[in-house]
Amino acid sequence: MTTTTAVSLVGVTKKYGAVQAVAGVDLSIRVGEVVALLGPNGAGKSTTIEMLLGLVRPDQGSVQVYGGTPSEAIANGQIGVMLQSGGIIEDAKVGELLNLVAGLHTKPMPVQEALDRAGIADLYDRKMKGLSGGQKQRVRFAMAIIPQPELIVLDEPTTGMDVESRRDFWASMHAETARGRTVLFATHYLEEADAYADRVVLMRNGKIVADGTAAQIKASVSGRTIRATIPGADLTALAALPGVRNVETRGDVVLLQCADSDDTLRYLLGNTTAHDIEVTSADLEDAVLAISDGSAYQGKESVA
Amino acid sequence: MNRNYLMFDIRRTLRNRRVMIFAILMPLVLFAIFGLTIPKDAAAGGISAIAYVMVSMAMFGSMSAAMSSGGVIAAERDGGWNRTLRLTPLKPQAYVINKVILSLLVAVPPLIVVFLFGMTVGHVHLSASQWITVALVSWLGALPFAAIGLVIGYVAKPDSMQPITGLATMLIAAFGGLWLPVDQMPSVMKHIAQLTPAYWTGLTSRSALTAGGVDTQALLVVLGWTVVLGFIALRRYRADTARA
Repeated sequence: MTTTTAVSLVGVTKKYGAVQAVAGVDLSIRVGEVVALLGPNGAGKSTTIEMLLGLVRPDQGSVQVYGGTPSEAIANGQIGVMLQSGGIIEDAKVGELLNLVAGLHTKPMPVQEALDRAGIADLYDRKMKGLSGGQKQRVRFAMAIIPQPELIVLDEPTTGMDVESRRDFWASMHAETARGRTVLFATHYLEEADAYADRVVLMRNGKIVADGTAAQIKASVSGRTIRATIPGADLTALAALPGVRNVETRGDVVLLQCADSDDTLRYLLGNTTAHDIEVTSADLEDAVLAISDGSAYQGKESVA
Repeated sequence: MNRNYLMFDIRRTLRNRRVMIFAILMPLVLFAIFGLTIPKDAAAGGISAIAYVMVSMAMFGSMSAAMSSGGVIAAERDGGWNRTLRLTPLKPQAYVINKVILSLLVAVPPLIVVFLFGMTVGHVHLSASQWITVALVSWLGALPFAAIGLVIGYVAKPDSMQPITGLATMLIAAFGGLWLPVDQMPSVMKHIAQLTPAYWTGLTSRSALTAGGVDTQALLVVLGWTVVLGFIALRRYRADTARA
């Protein structure tokens, strides 16, 4: 293990009863990377994070953080964590809570600085109980950065936030990544992964099914989709076209997934009654859906 | 122990006064009912009856305060606060030691208030050394109940916390002879009383007022209870915080 590796998971598995929550995960995160762990509920994101933090012991495999165990990294104050929910004391004031957390660490930043960075300087004397969901998330964020950790781990940090707080939150987060911190965040918001991560790790059924930049993942689902209204279309003929990978219909509307949309368009305009034609390229959501449902635009025919 | 954290907990406790007020008022009311109505010259086992009741009620107050203090743990566990703490360098045993210290601290006000009430309103006359001895021994008697509070805190859910603590406090106090002297109960009740830690803490505290001084045998039983309950609390706590 070199010092440029922040996190290393090798062959990690975890089973809860009959449920295989994590089914063999290998993940290496370099220092300074901002990684999004993306996947639907039940994909194994939280369990993976819990094992990374040492809250849960893996059945098999090894977890290393900065070359040591997760517990060692935590004892050294190297990891700052923002949990999805809970993890606070409702009858405490914001200032009390942050002073307490700062006091538990060896090299904390001044509490005022954490408040400023999280944008909650005005909440110092407020009780946690009376805060909105978004405000509480900001307190959790302040708690995560106060130890001045090398690695920040956030489990679905923007759950329950409105659009504006979500944008503000990522602006604060961006300032942290600009300081060269390594960040791992779990999310099921694609646009967050797309906009804020250097690297997207896609999980499904306890496994990593894709790993790369958002652009790479989009590119893995290359080609375009043609949507056209073609009454009485000859689906077999369309599916046989060289540029077409997949054909679906919704009534008279035909969806053609194409490796080469130009040739297909020429054919449609010249040989069919196709009208209302739209051509779109795959976005990250298409890519994720394609990868997640296992089809990945394999070219197999699925005529509805 | 973590002083920063202890101060944080003390501030929270001072803000949530209800528990403390209850722990002080309850024994005062019972003292007024059972203690102040006793004839002045009544005595039992070498101490005046009113001093007997005063000590029992002080023990009851400190015991219920110490036990309910552990209940904070149930709420903190439920809110995921223990997870947050596990993600900080705080040593787990420091957390438990903090909570025990906190329980011992909240056990102090009921003792002091009941003793002051006994001294002034109840006209209980003791020598200075007797006051100090009975106060210290009674305070020590809160230890097993602090451990019970920890155990309940690690076993109960926050909403079942108060009824469980309330019921346990009542049962232990009633059957342990803190409300009615065991000597006035049928002999079978005396045998039951001896199975509760409250019987021994009461015996220890009252013995401080007799000519013979502190009953060391009873004190040993109290410490034995503390060790056993402390061990159970530690096991519960280990199971709860097992790290990977």
